[in-house]
Order: sequence, then C-alpha cells, then structure tokens
Amino acid sequence: MSRRRQAGVSRALNVFGPFIGLILVIALFALIPEVQGRFLRAANFKSVATQSVIVALGALGMTLVIISGGIDLSAASNIALASVITAYAINAGAAPLAAVVLGVLTGGLVGLANGGLVTRLRLVPFIVTMGMMGIARGAAKWIAGNQKIDAPMTWVNELMAKSPRPSWLLLAPGIWLVIIFAVALAVALRYTVFGRHIYAVGSNEATARLCGVRTDRVKVLVYAVSGLFCGLSGVMEFSRLTVGDPTVAVGLELDIIAAVVIGGGSLSGGEGSILGTLVGVLIMSFLRNGCTMMGWPNYIQEIIIGAIIIVAVALDRLRHRKD
Amino acid sequence: MRSLPSTTLLIAFGAALALAACAERASGPPGAETVTIAVIPKGTTHEFWKSIHAGADRAARELGVEIYWKGPQKEDDRAQQITVVEDFISRGVDGIVLAPLDDRALMRPVRDAVREGIPVVIIDSALQGGDFTSYVATDNYQGGVLAARRLGGLLGGQGRIFLIRYQEGSASTVQREAGFYDTVTAEFPAIELLVKDQYAGATTETAYQLAENLISRFPDVDGVFTPNESSTFGTLRALQESRLAGRVVFVGFDSSPKLVQGLRDGEIQGLVLQDPDKMGYLGVKTMVAHLRGEPVEKVIDTGVVLATRENMDTPEIKALLTPGPTAIDD
Repeated sequence: MSRRRQAGVSRALNVFGPFIGLILVIALFALIPEVQGRFLRAANFKSVATQSVIVALGALGMTLVIISGGIDLSAASNIALASVITAYAINAGAAPLAAVVLGVLTGGLVGLANGGLVTRLRLVPFIVTMGMMGIARGAAKWIAGNQKIDAPMTWVNELMAKSPRPSWLLLAPGIWLVIIFAVALAVALRYTVFGRHIYAVGSNEATARLCGVRTDRVKVLVYAVSGLFCGLSGVMEFSRLTVGDPTVAVGLELDIIAAVVIGGGSLSGGEGSILGTLVGVLIMSFLRNGCTMMGWPNYIQEIIIGAIIIVAVALDRLRHRKD
Repeated sequence: MRSLPSTTLLIAFGAALALAACAERASGPPGAETVTIAVIPKGTTHEFWKSIHAGADRAARELGVEIYWKGPQKEDDRAQQITVVEDFISRGVDGIVLAPLDDRALMRPVRDAVREGIPVVIIDSALQGGDFTSYVATDNYQGGVLAARRLGGLLGGQGRIFLIRYQEGSASTVQREAGFYDTVTAEFPAIELLVKDQYAGATTETAYQLAENLISRFPDVDGVFTPNESSTFGTLRALQESRLAGRVVFVGFDSSPKLVQGLRDGEIQGLVLQDPDKMGYLGVKTMVAHLRGEPVEKVIDTGVVLATRENMDTPEIKALLTPGPTAIDD
C-alpha cells in the first residue's frame, strides 16, 4: 500500500470513524423487530436530541480544552452549580433572562478560575480541575442549602420542552442552541487565529510558544469558554428539571470526556473536532435510549459504552502509531 | 494494511453489540399483544428496590403482563430518571409505574406520558399535580405514630429522648418524623424531647457522628427514634460504641441484616417496617386494573408494621425483615 493511500485511509477513518459507530448503533436497534417501529419514529429522535443537549453543550467546550491538551474534570460540577444559581436567582425574584445570564456567567467564572490556576500556578489541569470539581459541587450544595431549589415556572423551563412553543421551532430551543454554537465553534476552530492556536498549543506547546503564540492566554480563554458552555448546559439542566438540584450530573464529566474521545479527540492534545464530538454524544444517547426501550438492565449499557470508549481510543492509538 | 486491525476492531465491536442483543432477546418473552408496563424505581441496587421488583414481578406473573424494570443509571439521579420515562414514552408501553425521585421534576415527563395516552401509577413517593392514576405508598405518618407508641409505652410515659431527623426535604421521612413528634407530644406529655431538630444526613457515617455528639452531650438519654435505615444503623453503631445499646430504648425504621441482629440482641426495641414487596405488587396490579377499565382508588396505603424481638420470627414479620429470594417465592 502506498504512503499516500495509507494517509487517505487514515483520514477517512478520522472523519468517518465516529459515524460508523453511530450508524452501527442506530442500525442495531432499527433491526430489532420489538422496537424498530418505535425507535425510528421522528418523535423518538427528537426526544434523544433533547436528552443530548446537556452533554452536548458541555462537550463543545470540552472539545476545545482537549484539543488544547488539557482536561476539565469540573465540567459536571460546574453544570450543577450553574443550574442551582439560575434556580436561586429566579426564586429570589430576578428576571428569568438575568437569571440565565447569571448562570452562564457563573460557569464562565469557574472556567476562568481553572484557566488562571493552570497557567499561573503551572499546575497540571487534571489536578486543578479535580479540585474545582469539589469546590463547585460544594458551592452548589451550599447555595442550595443542601437541598433542591423549587423555582417558579418561567419561559426558561420551555428551553428543553419536547414540544416547543412557538411550534414552528420544531425542535426544543436547546437543540437549536447546540446546533448554532456547534457551527460557530467549528468555524472558529478552522478559520480563526484563535482556533488554529488552540491546535498549535495542544500539538506542541513549546513550539507554539517559540512561534509567538501566547500559550497562556490561549489556555485561559479555552477554559473560560468551556466554563461558559458548562454554564449554559447548567441552565438547560435547570430548564429540564424545573428545579435547581445541586446533586445532579454527578459523574457527567466522564460522559462529556467520553463523547469527545469517541468523536476522535485525543487526550494528548492537538486533535479533535466539533462534528466528531457531537457524533460521540449521539452514540451514547442512542445507546441509552435503545437499551431503555428494550428494557435491558443498566449494566448492559454500561458495558457497551465502556467497550465503545476503549475501541474508540484504540482506533486513536492506531492512527497515532502511523504518524 | 493498516486498515486491517481497525476493521477487525469495528467488526468485533459490531459483534459484541449483536451478541448482547441476541443474549437478551433469547430470554425475552414473545407475543405482540401482551400488555407491557414499565416499572421505574429510584435506583436498582438497594434492598428496598429489590423487594419492590420482586412484588412487581409477582403481580406481572399473576396477571399475565410483561414488565420492564429500569431505574436511572446512577442511583438517585433526577435527570436520568426523566430520560428513562421519556424513553418508555417513545417505546409506547401501555402503562408506567414510577417512584419519582423528585415531587416536582418528574411532573413534566408524567404529563407527557398521560398526553400520549400512557397512564402513570406513582409508588413510594409523592408527585405534585394530579396527572397520575393512583398513588400507592406507605402511610409514613402512621409509621411515626407506631414508633412513638412503642417508645412511649416502653418508657412508661416518661423520660428524656432524641428525635433524630433524616434529611431536609425528604418527604417520606419528614412525615415519619411528624407522626412521631405529634404522637409523643399528644399522648406522652411527660416525655421530654432533648433533641428534635437535628439532621442525621444522607449516610450512615453522618448519622453515626451526629449520634455520637448527641450522646456525649446527653449521656443520660432514655430513648431514641430514627426515621430510616441509614440513620437507624448509624445511631445503633454510636450506641454500641458508647455501651448504651440495650440500656436505651431505641426504635428505628426499615430493616437490614445488621438491624435485624440488633433487634435480636435487644439493642433495638422496635423497627417500623414498610412493605416494599406489596408496594411493587399493588403498583402493577393497580395499573393493570386501570388498563382493564376497572375503577381504582386514587390513594392506596400499603401499610406499616412494627417488628419487635417478640414477633420477629413470625412468618409475616420475617418476610419483611429479611426480604429477598424467600419473599419472592411465597
């Protein structure tokens, strides 16, 4: 096999690998007669898409972090904190829009703190964000007084409604937000200087610095943007639950990271794509949905998702050995 | 040639999925016309939910319906329970029996289900609103009343006691505590409540610490009431450590092997028991009755009983104290 052909195969695998997984998962349930009629209905796809919004928003930010060679373990706690802040603000009589902005900014602030600590203290992102995971979760429980916050229903709770109002939206507003931000991020990653710098920092930080990239600034920005997405995701979590729950989304950061990795992101940095990440999110959502529809016990879907993560990373390694 | 191993991996992955599918399908009962009911607990690993599962299974066998037993992937995760309800709406089951993790967050998915023509029976914990067909649960207040009468009776109507609470915002235990408190103050006015606003917290460990601190402050306490399994066990441990177990009248709630041992050793004077098996059984049975067009009660009480050292070996109490395979078979 010629070198060029190898490169072609490798690129094809890069782009289509995650898609093959998604098609396999959908095909699997579409072929089971017991559920196929129900599984393939538009209403079910809409339901799966709505369920994916929270992980997807978190994963968009996480994609940037992982491309830059970092990791954000505080994502899920950040989501819980933002959802509690939003509920708290609405409960305290703030205008819903102000509460939403506050929730998103809270997420951004946590991200900013992550970025600042990683760059200023020269600490490993794993450690900084692991610490922040506890801090944000604790803060959420503190603010909520160790219980959930019941907030009055407002339009914020319509953001994740399966049947949106107005009905011409077709999909829940949350899904549209994911689509809009995904396109924006994909464009930014590919065509803006900031986007290229993220890849440069993740591929080889020292070289990037020597080439004049202000690596610290790039990293702080990346964590801050990731935090903003977690904040938005937290608002969506509140919208879905209709209560601010400080114990929600425990362990969700691993789902988010898994989505990025299944979608072709490399934990050693420099690689990953928005499209791949979204496919990764959908693979896991469709698996959950299909397994539940079949009435399969939870351990089956845990085993399958675990296997998929290993297969995805194995493919990732194969690609790297080639380079 | 590099593409070879990755292709192999993909095939292996596909085969694994297919295998999982086949393995499950082989055991699944056939028949397109069977009534299917989704039973959604708060979690799947606790003893309590296993008993509910056993009861639901028994009802399903008796009535010839099929049930899907599926909890949130992570215990006690509200968001994931919503997802499970939505997925069963998509699946188009005939009915849903749900133990809601939150009296408010599950309102919307339940309303969606009813709108899609899928009736919902609520078990174990309350749900706000009135979209559901029936509410099948323990009368928790009555459980607190039973505990208070046992404690007050053994103390001869006087003494100094602790009312240890479980956690803020937990509806079922708040009702148990209210039942206990109201009964003690109304029927045993000579009993003094040394502590009535302290929370044990979610785990055995936090309950243990609280009880230890209370005991060191009031070493001459005469009686203790705790409203659930973790607070009861944590308090039992603290009483054992401070050598007060057996000398203090202790009435708790729920059951576990360690608590049964405490009852047998005379360290616990009473355990109020719910009947989760009956709850699962009646949940499914009520749903089937509703689906067959029979009228059903809006609220169904599954009862509470008091287990003591004297009655703990009678068959009825024994089945509730030690749930599991033995309870499924009869």
